[in-house]
Amino acid sequence: MASLFQRRRSKATQVERVRERRHEGFLRYAGFRWAKISGGLCLLIIVSYALIDVTPRHNGGSWYGYTLGTIGALLILWLTALGYRKRKMTSDHWSLKAWTSAHVYLGLSLIVVGTWHTGFQLGWNVHTLAWALMMLVILSGLYGVIVYATLPQALSNNREQMTQMQMLEAIRAFDRQLHTAAQPLTPEDTAPVLAALDEDPFAGGIVARLSGRYPNCATSAALRALTLSRSSDAGAREKVVGLLKQKEAALARLRQHLKIRGLLEIWLYVHVPLTFALIAALSAHIISVFFYW
Amino acid sequence: MSFILRRISTTKTGKQIIRDAALPGDMITLGRDAGNTIHVADLAVNPHHATISSADGRTVRVAAQEGLGFDLNGRTETVANIDSGAGGELRFGGHRLTIAREDEKIILLVERIDELSQSSKDVDEAKAFSLQGVMLGKRMGAWVFGVLMLLAFLIGPIWAWYSYKNVNERPDGYHADSAWLSGPLSSAHASLKNDCQSCHVEPFVAVTDKACVNCHTGEHKAMSMAHANAPTAMLLAARHPPGAGERILKGFADTFNKPQGRCVDCHTEHEGAGPMPATPQKFCADCHDGMSARLKTAGHPTALADAADFGTSHPEFRPLVRPGPGGKLVRTTLAKGIVDYNGLKFPHDVHLQATGGVARMAASFRGRYDFGKKLECENCHRVEADGVRVKPVEMERDCAMCHSLAFETVGGVTRTLRHGEPDQVVADLTAYYRSAPPARPLQLGGMQRRRPGAYAEGQVYNIYFNEVAVRPSRAQDAVRAVFSKGGACYDCHTIFAPQAGNGWRVAAVDQTPRYLQKGWFDHDAHKETACADCHTAAPASKASTDLLVPGLRQCRDCHVGEGGARVVKVETATESPCAMCHEYHSDGGKPWMPPRQRKKNTVAITNKRLDASQGVSMITGTGGRGLYEVTWRTPSLHAARQGG
Repeated sequence: MASLFQRRRSKATQVERVRERRHEGFLRYAGFRWAKISGGLCLLIIVSYALIDVTPRHNGGSWYGYTLGTIGALLILWLTALGYRKRKMTSDHWSLKAWTSAHVYLGLSLIVVGTWHTGFQLGWNVHTLAWALMMLVILSGLYGVIVYATLPQALSNNREQMTQMQMLEAIRAFDRQLHTAAQPLTPEDTAPVLAALDEDPFAGGIVARLSGRYPNCATSAALRALTLSRSSDAGAREKVVGLLKQKEAALARLRQHLKIRGLLEIWLYVHVPLTFALIAALSAHIISVFFYW
Repeated sequence: MSFILRRISTTKTGKQIIRDAALPGDMITLGRDAGNTIHVADLAVNPHHATISSADGRTVRVAAQEGLGFDLNGRTETVANIDSGAGGELRFGGHRLTIAREDEKIILLVERIDELSQSSKDVDEAKAFSLQGVMLGKRMGAWVFGVLMLLAFLIGPIWAWYSYKNVNERPDGYHADSAWLSGPLSSAHASLKNDCQSCHVEPFVAVTDKACVNCHTGEHKAMSMAHANAPTAMLLAARHPPGAGERILKGFADTFNKPQGRCVDCHTEHEGAGPMPATPQKFCADCHDGMSARLKTAGHPTALADAADFGTSHPEFRPLVRPGPGGKLVRTTLAKGIVDYNGLKFPHDVHLQATGGVARMAASFRGRYDFGKKLECENCHRVEADGVRVKPVEMERDCAMCHSLAFETVGGVTRTLRHGEPDQVVADLTAYYRSAPPARPLQLGGMQRRRPGAYAEGQVYNIYFNEVAVRPSRAQDAVRAVFSKGGACYDCHTIFAPQAGNGWRVAAVDQTPRYLQKGWFDHDAHKETACADCHTAAPASKASTDLLVPGLRQCRDCHVGEGGARVVKVETATESPCAMCHEYHSDGGKPWMPPRQRKKNTVAITNKRLDASQGVSMITGTGGRGLYEVTWRTPSLHAARQGG
């Protein structure tokens, strides 16, 4: 396989430049090289599984099962190593993009390697647990691939050329203006404004983050209260209401941003911890096989 | 009395600039309203929040105006008197008012201490905008999940093993290592599912034969009479050369200390609940395919022929035959010209002819016995009660219908010669001739005078007295006649003439009850097939020394290999794994086969081979009257005894 990657350096650089220009992502890296490799691997496994006659029947304990199990376990460890690789800067042409592309496609091929390793014998035991965890990790990764392919567009549309800090800065600016504009208001009217100022734009739990719904939003409450209020000077109040509306819009943009980012990130909170759970269960699976050899 | 308002501002370089301004008046007002002496632009402060005054220029009195108080040392107050010399800190909304005394003057320092709004607070961008703030850390989750997995599925099971290490039988209940159960145990071992240690005795040691024979005490010896005596080295050498896959498996086995040739190599477990599956052909063919050459190379020469598949690769049968009269039984490969001396003379062809004396005689007995227009195999050959084998032929039961040994009728009772006892036959015949003198002619009675010439040859005197005179020698003749050509015994038996000290002797009859000792043939399973379909040589056999056991060729008319392999054209194929005829355990019993499989094959033949069963049903009738049912022929010998 090594010959696949042995290219001359200058050529590699040139190819890399072409890729940069085309915005070639990890999915279509090198003309779907890793998709082809892992697709071929899956096909090989499925066909050979049907052709090879092991006695008494296919399971993890046949020679075929051992082979697939070994491939699968090594693959899992290598896939996990992406977490290490991505923290390590290299000048090698084994780029992070290449690595990620291989990670995605070989990770998907693990569905076939792992499932065919079981010989479709599943039960309530540590062996099937390891398989189930593997499938959860793969499915969460698949979700990750899908959101990485679709959500950045939405994120970009929502930002409208603003950076995250600029979004926050806009809210801060409205807060300052609100603070000033609300000075003439009566204490009854300043209380909701004060609550709106006291609201943390990053508040809310994971549910609020991912759904983007904040039913107890103080800014909206202040807007409602001041629209109905008759106590202070109408001119000053109108100015505050206008500012509150603007703050609400800025807040909505920030929250949409947080929501999309949350959706982009949430799978890693399943993917990474379950990977380590998988490695633990896999160790138990392998040790159990040898323990009760 | 003067109050000084101090303001501190911080330059961009961090330098503090302090500005003091004297406040007019004795009463200072503090509030959000611009008209206050101290104007605090803080929404949390009332327009007219508090007044600050001092009566003696030392104690400062702070009083809240509009209900909303202020914080002093953590408590909310509406009025407070503060010694400016000691100093004090008050809190109005987001601002702090510090009271101090310098040069007989009261210094009031007002600073914003809270952020203007929550959003104005400094944030860590990387953390605030990601899920880090709202989710448990990934690293934490990884540790928690990983440790839980190891505790529940590694430490727990090992602990379960450890705690019952030296215990014979585990108590019922949950044991953590049941999470390691890779699949349901077979129904015979189902009770062991909570007791992993009953087989997996030592950790990291593959299940040993010792663990099996701890329970399987009796069966182990009987397990394989054919294989148990072979040394393990020979058994291992017999196996076929490993393919790529098996080499991988062997690699795993060698690397991880899993010796081969153990019971569990073949008797695999954890393959799902249910009974043991039928033994596949591969189980045998793995060794027996090309085995003789391998064993020869390995230094264990064998007389066994190779066998791989019944349809294509199976040695010719080697039935047990007696090659000479009175000789020893030997296993000989079935071929043309093989003879088997059983001591009888019996031409099958004469008896099975559709025309001729035998057929006519059989037809004449149709009312009395279950004969048809001619004799059939079933008329003389009877099967054992279990239907598997054919009983040896018995003279009284199977021949005497026609071959009567009757010689006299006394008052309606038929006297027969004793079969199997030649001396008794001689005695009976001698006695018959002695005890029954010739009937005295009437002419010889009375007192009337007789004319001469009555003694002449051919006259009554001559006949009578001649008879009386030769009577004992007539008995000798009768005995000789019975034992000689044309006599009742000679027809079927080999006779030895009297020698010195011996009378007439009959050669011993030895009928082989089972010709094929290594294979199992069940006549009952073939009852829909006509006898002559397999015993093809029988209708033309002229001598009883002809061996009529069917060969491989006849079996292959229907039976093909497990996978359907065949060398001849087969109409209705019956897939036949080795275990259909051969029993691994070689205890002489019936090979085991799952009931479903047995039934399926019989039905297949019944349904499809109509032509075969037709010949039989013509004789036995259709339906309930099966070929081998005991009712198919009157078994009684009464008729024969009555001189029939």
